[in-house]
Amino acid sequence: MVAPPDNDVLWARSLHCSYSGAPALAGVSLGVREGEILAVCGARGSGKTTLLRTLSGQLVAEQGEVWFNSAPVHTMSAAARERLRRDRFGWISPEPTLVPELTAWENAALPLLLRGISHRAAKATAVEWLERLDIGAHARTRPYALSQAQRQRVATARALATTPSVLFADEPTATLHQTDRAHVLRTITAAARSHRITVILATHDAEVAGLADRSITLVDGRRVAAAPVITEAEGRAACSLSV
Amino acid sequence: MLALRLARGSHPLVLLRRLTVAAASAGVGFLLLSAMAHALAHPGESSASLLRLLWCAVPLAATVHLAVAVARTDPGTRPRPGLSAIGLGPARLTAIAATTTALSTALGSMVALLVFLHLRGDLTGLPFDDGAGRLLAAGVPLPVGAALTLLAVVPVVSSAAAALTLRPRRVRPGGETDPDRPAEPASAPTGLPWGVALIAAGLTAEVYTTPEATAAGGAASAPPLMLPGHFDGSPAGVLAGWTLTALGLALTGPGLTYRCGRLLQGVRPGPTRLLAGRILMEDARRIGRPLGVVCAVAAGGVAAWSLYAAGPRPFGPLTALGAALVVICTTATLFTAALESRTTRAGTAECLLEQGAPAGLLRSAAGLRAAVLLTVFAPLTWTVAMLAAFPLRH
Repeated sequence: MVAPPDNDVLWARSLHCSYSGAPALAGVSLGVREGEILAVCGARGSGKTTLLRTLSGQLVAEQGEVWFNSAPVHTMSAAARERLRRDRFGWISPEPTLVPELTAWENAALPLLLRGISHRAAKATAVEWLERLDIGAHARTRPYALSQAQRQRVATARALATTPSVLFADEPTATLHQTDRAHVLRTITAAARSHRITVILATHDAEVAGLADRSITLVDGRRVAAAPVITEAEGRAACSLSV
Repeated sequence: MLALRLARGSHPLVLLRRLTVAAASAGVGFLLLSAMAHALAHPGESSASLLRLLWCAVPLAATVHLAVAVARTDPGTRPRPGLSAIGLGPARLTAIAATTTALSTALGSMVALLVFLHLRGDLTGLPFDDGAGRLLAAGVPLPVGAALTLLAVVPVVSSAAAALTLRPRRVRPGGETDPDRPAEPASAPTGLPWGVALIAAGLTAEVYTTPEATAAGGAASAPPLMLPGHFDGSPAGVLAGWTLTALGLALTGPGLTYRCGRLLQGVRPGPTRLLAGRILMEDARRIGRPLGVVCAVAAGGVAAWSLYAAGPRPFGPLTALGAALVVICTTATLFTAALESRTTRAGTAECLLEQGAPAGLLRSAAGLRAAVLLTVFAPLTWTVAMLAAFPLRH
């Protein structure tokens, strides 16, 4: 087992994953420095979500290693990985998954409550982050009464409220309109810069990837230098003069 | 036959639930046939036979309640993308639910008929032939039409009730929301005052009618309310009182559950208390209604036991069968409702696990809910049972 480089907060070596035989990751290696915003680009089905789930310890790779702050994540027990995710990681999924029984601020405060922080302090932090995301007016509203964009903002506030070491954002703006998209992304990047949060941002959008410090590209579960760009449609006549 | 094909591939637990419905249907069918046998054996006592038949309504209601709950939780009757893709919408799914219910209850009725004929001695070659010939009017020819009519009662009523409960709701244009949005929560149940009023009215009715009943009974040894095994007559006032009390308890269930949840999540809750309370408030109707029915049955059982347990022969085999049916059906309905609640919480559980919540959190929340409900409903049931039994004691 090779010890990872010291300056990387998260480090992975030759990750292999497959879903019932179909390979999702085939030998991906990467290192993420502290406070860095890393974009993972790729089309749908290229293994972005699997990579993020593996790095965050939700999934254990069949082969390969994941190290977080010089601790091996791939050999941890399920309970230890759960604790790691609760205490050090944040997660934003493409669809806002909120607990429908709780109000917006309770949803945002839930990770803090799970860490054992007092009710009053958790509420103050959650409301502060909701206001930063322009949704403080809806703090007492339940998810069913919020629009998709508002729910995604609550999910973002929930992920940022704990100021995690690493924030995993899996296509956080996939279901949003342009204006909401810009605002949510700006909040995530601003929070990452000011609180030195490492962000791993999965996206298929080159524009979103442009906000990151560095980006890697996945194609069919492999890391490639850059995505192949298809410039012309196959089979279409390049020149129609013959007609 | 799609209903059969869907049934073949379903989970063992789902099949077990349907089997419970079939067994309950068999029990009720047997009770109905026994009432008919009583009429055959005692042509002179038509009112006693009618009373027996009417007592069958209680297990029948419990069985239909269970059948509807099972049909509601049946995964085969929920809108599914796989079936919706081939054009099987809510209307056809309702038909499938009704067919599945009819199939399992008809299976039960068939078993009931076989057991009945066997115990009468009409089918020979097995142990316990003619085991209850005297009780089931052996030797008198069986009226086939009457028997089939009685056996059809459970399948017809159950599948009609299932179809009525699961009928497709009309969706207003523009009223459809996107599927990712969580469903709007139900409003707080409002039945609590009515339930309390009914319990009070029932207990009062019982107190007012009891003295006449005891006086009419004459000797102090004769209990004023007769279980169906005895034919000395049941005073209408006491029966009405008990029915009102039971109805009141069933109505109290949702409101009381909601208030339990509200209390649980109050005053700076931690994550466990917060989740347990909110889920209880959300599930007040789904859990509260069968819980109220279970409490009503338990109260009736405790009251009857405290009155008759001391007697030499408290009840006969058919009364025992009926009581067991009611208890099992209502308890099974409660468990089915709890299971349904768990299924609808799948999204919540997934969301919590994604946030790194410990796997024990939802379990401890469920335990907390069960403990709170038990501490509230058990003393209530006991008190109501004791109050209901009190005026009948000497």
